[in-house]
Amino acid sequence: MTAARRRKAGLVRPYVVTDGRAYPSRNTLDLVTLLVAVNGEPLTGLSPEKRRLVELCRPGSLSVAEVAVHLELPVSVTKVLIADLMDSGHLVTRTPIPPARPGNGRVLQEVLDGLRALL
Amino acid sequence: MTRHLPDAVFWLLAAGLLTAVVLWMRQRRVTAVVRSRCDRLADGIRSRDDEIRHLAAVRLPAMEESLHRPAEVPGPLDELLARTDFGKGLQVVAERFADAAADARARAERSAKAALKTSMRSIQALANEQQMFISEMQERHDDPAVLHDLLAIDHANAQFSRRAQAIAVLCGSWPGRQRAAAPLDEVIRGATSRIRDYRRIRIAGQVDLAVVSRAVEPVVLAVAELLDNAARHSQPHTSVEVSLQGVHNGACVVVDDAGVGMDSQVARRAAALLTGRRGVDVTRLDDPPQFGFPVVGVLAARYGFSVSVDTQSPYGGVRAVVFLPSALLTQVTEEPPPGPADEGGERDGRPSASAAGDGAGPPEPTTAGGLPRRRRRARADEPPADPAGFPGEPEAADAAEAAEAAQPAGPAGRAADTADDRAARDAARRMGAFARGTRTGRDGEDPRPDAPRPPDRGAHHDQAPGDERKGRG
Repeated sequence: MTAARRRKAGLVRPYVVTDGRAYPSRNTLDLVTLLVAVNGEPLTGLSPEKRRLVELCRPGSLSVAEVAVHLELPVSVTKVLIADLMDSGHLVTRTPIPPARPGNGRVLQEVLDGLRALL
Repeated sequence: MTRHLPDAVFWLLAAGLLTAVVLWMRQRRVTAVVRSRCDRLADGIRSRDDEIRHLAAVRLPAMEESLHRPAEVPGPLDELLARTDFGKGLQVVAERFADAAADARARAERSAKAALKTSMRSIQALANEQQMFISEMQERHDDPAVLHDLLAIDHANAQFSRRAQAIAVLCGSWPGRQRAAAPLDEVIRGATSRIRDYRRIRIAGQVDLAVVSRAVEPVVLAVAELLDNAARHSQPHTSVEVSLQGVHNGACVVVDDAGVGMDSQVARRAAALLTGRRGVDVTRLDDPPQFGFPVVGVLAARYGFSVSVDTQSPYGGVRAVVFLPSALLTQVTEEPPPGPADEGGERDGRPSASAAGDGAGPPEPTTAGGLPRRRRRARADEPPADPAGFPGEPEAADAAEAAEAAQPAGPAGRAADTADDRAARDAARRMGAFARGTRTGRDGEDPRPDAPRPPDRGAHHDQAPGDERKGRG
């Protein structure tokens, strides 16, 4: 019989995960903020959740909401961890690019011209 | 005649005197006998009085005391008296008293345990329910101020639940929750979650072992009691060090505190409690009740792990060692991280471009959390099997990206924005069909790919996102 290394709901409570803190050190995070792991930062000394969080973001970027679901933690708790990891330099964030305003004909025309030039 | 009279009187007197003397002497002898008998009887009564008094004042209280802790019960005062019927009677009285007291105590304990067990069960159920509500609230509220309060409530609830659990275990109940097998470090952190001073616990050491399902909750509870003891009996600014070690036939959890330590008498008592062999009398825990060691002892005996507290910690306090035998352990299987596999496209900060595209394909593999697992873009970028080999194809994905980044260029792009899976899939299918149609039409009338044909260019521009989605599916 084997046990998957996966958070068992309710065994480790969120206050242990955040060491009793509820306020993230920054309030710039929302559900769709994208997290990118900084390569080369050592993971020693990080709590298991933080280590897992960085490992989740290593292959590419993930949103805060996705990370929270993967960690099986509430989003607000995940934000505290993410803010810590940003402070320690393990993560950087990117805000998602807002959808471009439709009807910008000039840009479209330029793209079209560029494509024509390519072909 | 008268001359003989004095003689007669004399003889009479002599005889009378003799008789009197004889009688007096006899009387004296009788009196002495009676007196000595009286004295003996008085002694006997006195000794019986003493014996009764001894029974009431010394022996019975001692018997009563010996029910709770091992104490010497004094025997009768007078060995001679004990052999009499009276002494035997007293012995019977004493035995009946002892039996009745033991019986009463057993009954009191049984009913106390039953009452406690039932009430703790319901309290435990309520605490678990409350924990569920708290967890739901933590999920629902995003405000740090609310989270702060919820964490405090959660913490209090966890301690409350542990207390109820401990009492229930002492009363012979099961620890309650059935959990799946969990890695040892999670189990220790679970135990940390249940105590007041959880921030003082430092966990060191990595053991890739998990605790089997049936032992998770007992080990959590036992370690929590040890951690609580350690934290409670040491200064608030010191930390409690926990180290995990894999040993030859099991694993050890070592809890070191920098507290006051235990003197030899307390240590002996603790060791006796930790074996769990002696039954715990819930009606006679100390005041205030000390649940810790009795609970750990009961759990250790019931689930087959062992706990010792007889070593001194290098920090000056107590070192508690929990030894978990291999029978309670299992291997941890490492779940591959379900992270994104996209190396290039995602890096430049675009919102998940696969939101609509993945929908066009077969059901996505999902991660443990229920999220779709991401796949490499490279697979999706393979050009579709098109015999005509549209020259723009290799760049189709890039064009699609450019178009998407700049503007959601057609119905497909808008569908992607709404992230409505079904709509996106339909749009992608329509756009794919449209693109294929325009391509076959164009191939048919003009084989030269670079012929400047504006309407086709427009079609190409529209086609790209849909086609890219098609290819990904």
